[in-house]
Amino acid sequence: MPNAILDPTGRAQARPPAAGLQLAPRRQDPSGLRVGLLNNTKHNAALLLAEIGKLLAADHSMSVALAETKPNFAAPAPAELVDRFREQCDVVVTGVGDCGSCSASAVADGIVFEQAGLPSAVICSDAFTVTASAMADLRGAPGYHFIVTEHPVAVLDEEQVRQRAKRLAPEVVALVTAKAGR
Amino acid sequence: MTELDPDKAQAAIEHCYEQGWSDGLPLIPATDPLVDKFLAAAGRSPDEVIGRLPQLDRVVTVRLAAINAAMAGCLPEYFPVVLAAWEALMRERVTGGGGWQSTSGPAPLIIVNGPVRAELGFNTAGGVFGPGFRPNATVPRAIGLIVRNVYGIHPHELEQATQGLPGRWSICVAENEEESPWPSLASEAGLPDGVSAVSATLLRTCEFVDNRHTASAEQLLADFADSIGRSGPWIFQHAAAGVVFCPEHAQMLAAAGLGRAEVRGWLVEHSGRTTADLARVGKDRVEGRLRLPGDGEPAAEFQRMLASEDRTNLLIAVAGARNAGISMIVRLFADWSGAAVPVIRP
Repeated sequence: MPNAILDPTGRAQARPPAAGLQLAPRRQDPSGLRVGLLNNTKHNAALLLAEIGKLLAADHSMSVALAETKPNFAAPAPAELVDRFREQCDVVVTGVGDCGSCSASAVADGIVFEQAGLPSAVICSDAFTVTASAMADLRGAPGYHFIVTEHPVAVLDEEQVRQRAKRLAPEVVALVTAKAGR
Repeated sequence: MTELDPDKAQAAIEHCYEQGWSDGLPLIPATDPLVDKFLAAAGRSPDEVIGRLPQLDRVVTVRLAAINAAMAGCLPEYFPVVLAAWEALMRERVTGGGGWQSTSGPAPLIIVNGPVRAELGFNTAGGVFGPGFRPNATVPRAIGLIVRNVYGIHPHELEQATQGLPGRWSICVAENEEESPWPSLASEAGLPDGVSAVSATLLRTCEFVDNRHTASAEQLLADFADSIGRSGPWIFQHAAAGVVFCPEHAQMLAAAGLGRAEVRGWLVEHSGRTTADLARVGKDRVEGRLRLPGDGEPAAEFQRMLASEDRTNLLIAVAGARNAGISMIVRLFADWSGAAVPVIRP
């Protein structure tokens, strides 16, 4: 009997993550929802989120209750940060997934917010959808829906960021309310 | 050699490809008897956790590292060097964050010091950046396989390198202590002489400085400063670099009375560009961490690339043959920990 070839991954016997993320419950009506903005520090992310926040307030009667910056774009959002969003917000908008690790990390955060009961909209550049989806699979949430925007975001000027925010705001509203039809 | 069965060996190698374990080159299929030799060579608990990535919820154990080192083609006695290289990399700020997934596709630079170099046959001299020497080739490959297989960071998936760089998992040099005029890199890090140790950081690229005809230490240093200070690699306020000097360049600088600290001080002062130079490439203004287009003023102001004279901003080592004035500038992905990790053997 020959010796077995060893598995170098350590995951052959690993329990697959429980499939099927239970999304946070959504309201039909966005009006009155308190929005949290989580900026992952990528260039133009703060401006894009702020502009989206203004549009959610002006056009959908929502309000920006909290705007924070992630301490490390590559790492998962710390538990204390998630707690603050849970205490002060009803929904979360986060991004921009615009690099190798932050795209995956933004999706991981979105999943954590959903598990904490907060409907979330993760914004990711279209150059990083594969790695973002790979993270969703890893977290037991295959098919997790995030908002995809054209790459690149970092080179846009302020006016272009505002235009981008206008296009994305309706998608954000749809994703954090029951209108997404998921 | 009649008992060797190449057909079975080929089938086992193909099996490893089919599992998605390979970096593209053939792997040594690892079995318990082989991996047990690795574990014995290191004398560490197989279950000891030596790395973790919280965002992926994955941990590296000594045993998993041993399997990957065996697959990379290491000999069992290289394994303590692999573990020291891994630990040196774990001391880098970026390896616990997004470094391995980065669009930069950074490559580990592994530098070996001490008696282990000769004992295991590490190349310190001609062609030190490779190829041709089993320990220099397989130790960094083991690191790459750990990242690929244990962390599960595969190209086009969780690994998002835009282009990567040549030799990403093959840059391991042993310092040419015998022909270096300076104390070893490990001594500079505070380890006693005679201790084998590994230093490591992540690189964006390597580029040569070929200067064989000046007798002036200042002209030689100016050539390095000009190449170090160019704008392309400069994306944050400061950038870190390193120089792997060939023995000829190092000896010339030492003959002029310069030690590592003096060389570093000179290069820190002179490596950079004027604000006008940086304005031409849209990198003259610093906002937050990033370099962005600005107004180009004050035009004549000289901006230094290296943040300070701290050795973590400019790694200096000596390796290669004493046959020409050809040295290598290395571009650091982030700052360097400055640590040298002892090679521990039972």
